[in-house]
Amino acid sequence: MADINIGKAPPNSAILPFYATGAIAFWLLCLLLLLGADSFTAHYFNPHLLAIVHTAALGWGTMIIFGAAHQLLPVVCERDLFSPAMASLCWYTLTAGVALLVVSFWNFQPGWLMISGGVLVVLSAGAYFINAVFTSRICIHYSVARLFIVTSAAWLLFTVIVGLLLAIHLSHPFFNKNHLDILKLHAHAGLAGWFLQLITGISSKLVPMFLLGKSAKEKLLYYACILQNAGLLLFLGDGYFWGINGFHVLLYAVIAAAGIVCWLLYLYDTFRHRIRKKTDVQMKHTFVSFLLLVIAVLFIPLLLFAGNYQWTILYGTLLFMGWITGIILGKTFKTLPFIVWNGHYKTLSGKVKVPLPKHLYNEGWVSWQFRLFIAAILLLAAGIIAGEAVIIRIAGIAWLSVASLYLLNVMKTLLHKTKTL
Amino acid sequence: MMDIAFTDPHAAKKMKAQQALYHVIDPELFVNVVDLGLIYDLDFEKEDTITVTMTLSTPHCPMGEAITTGVRNAIETVFPERKTDINLTFNPPWSFEMLTEEGRAQLGV
Repeated sequence: MADINIGKAPPNSAILPFYATGAIAFWLLCLLLLLGADSFTAHYFNPHLLAIVHTAALGWGTMIIFGAAHQLLPVVCERDLFSPAMASLCWYTLTAGVALLVVSFWNFQPGWLMISGGVLVVLSAGAYFINAVFTSRICIHYSVARLFIVTSAAWLLFTVIVGLLLAIHLSHPFFNKNHLDILKLHAHAGLAGWFLQLITGISSKLVPMFLLGKSAKEKLLYYACILQNAGLLLFLGDGYFWGINGFHVLLYAVIAAAGIVCWLLYLYDTFRHRIRKKTDVQMKHTFVSFLLLVIAVLFIPLLLFAGNYQWTILYGTLLFMGWITGIILGKTFKTLPFIVWNGHYKTLSGKVKVPLPKHLYNEGWVSWQFRLFIAAILLLAAGIIAGEAVIIRIAGIAWLSVASLYLLNVMKTLLHKTKTL
Repeated sequence: MMDIAFTDPHAAKKMKAQQALYHVIDPELFVNVVDLGLIYDLDFEKEDTITVTMTLSTPHCPMGEAITTGVRNAIETVFPERKTDINLTFNPPWSFEMLTEEGRAQLGV
């Protein structure tokens, strides 16, 4: 073969546990949402909502994204993953850490259990950061996707360290600042630093690949990186040293939102110049998730000036259950079947007739998952706006149906047995 | 896209190899590598080796290894007495124009 490295995927044993655990965590998240429906009508700083948010952010979002990122990092960098062993360490520590955190939040028991959970999550984020930095350090071609992967990994580490400090502060107070203000900084470092920048970077590689589209406007991604980071840094610095001021926050939100617009314009340009005209249900999931992100950002003035916590809960819900969940629900079936297929059929391809990756999961279930997802997010949003726990419970049932379909499909893919046609 | 000239002394072997490559499907696009235009050249000049010059739809293709392995397997199935070398190149890079009419039809372009 010519001297071109096309990026070797890490062993499946380092990747698949993230997908399996993430799918189970999503099911548990929806169960907690159903059981803790009342918490969506109360102030956002309540034990059940804290447990639900951390299940969503770490057990679900970060877990699946870790799996996808460890798989895609070598592809983006055209190099092997720095350390598959560290990827496994990442999984062990994140799984144990999330379990401890969620249990201690649900029962609201600040102390060594919560702190231990926080320490494990910091270890996991540290291992991921090292893998991201050292894999991208030997990157053959410089790319903006690589930049986003590294900055997002740094933001994740920062976010979980602040989270650990907050967990310590709950039992051994030491911050001389308002706990809720620091909580907002912690949450936005995670949302705009970790999730937004990682999703921006990965989608700028995956969406063109899936659509067979190209955009000549890569500069938009550099602007996106600068604006997203500038908005976040200003918000964190100003918020920490001078307190959170509504008008200042609005200005920083506009800067970060401009970064989001640049990224979405890049994707739109790719979409316009795509060769693959037919849009599958996974891509529809992705488009809906972007729409929900935009709606959430448009809510920022409301939650700053309306003085009602329900807008804050709606904002968080649109981001976690709408944007992050929507993109993962779609992208899982754009990545996982291919990872599993590679393990079963890479060496058989061309020798005998083998199934395609799309045969490893049930496409019909994904269509139903999409419809139910739309119903579930609409019901949940309606329940939060109306402040009606009954509607939120009905939404919880819809969410549990989405999660059950998703979990079954993920397990069907993971438990696939090699066969020839 | 690869053209096989009738005047080529290896035309028959190249057509046999090409037929085999029609069975190698890009797992993401569901189109075979020939109609996708991924195969640039088949070289039968050496007695014991077949060199396949090919590309991928993107340098970052996560299925790249699976596709090149599929090409090697397909060629070695019809020419078991020869070794297959894959010469992977991105010069020229793959573009939409490299799709055959059949490839375009299968992608719904």
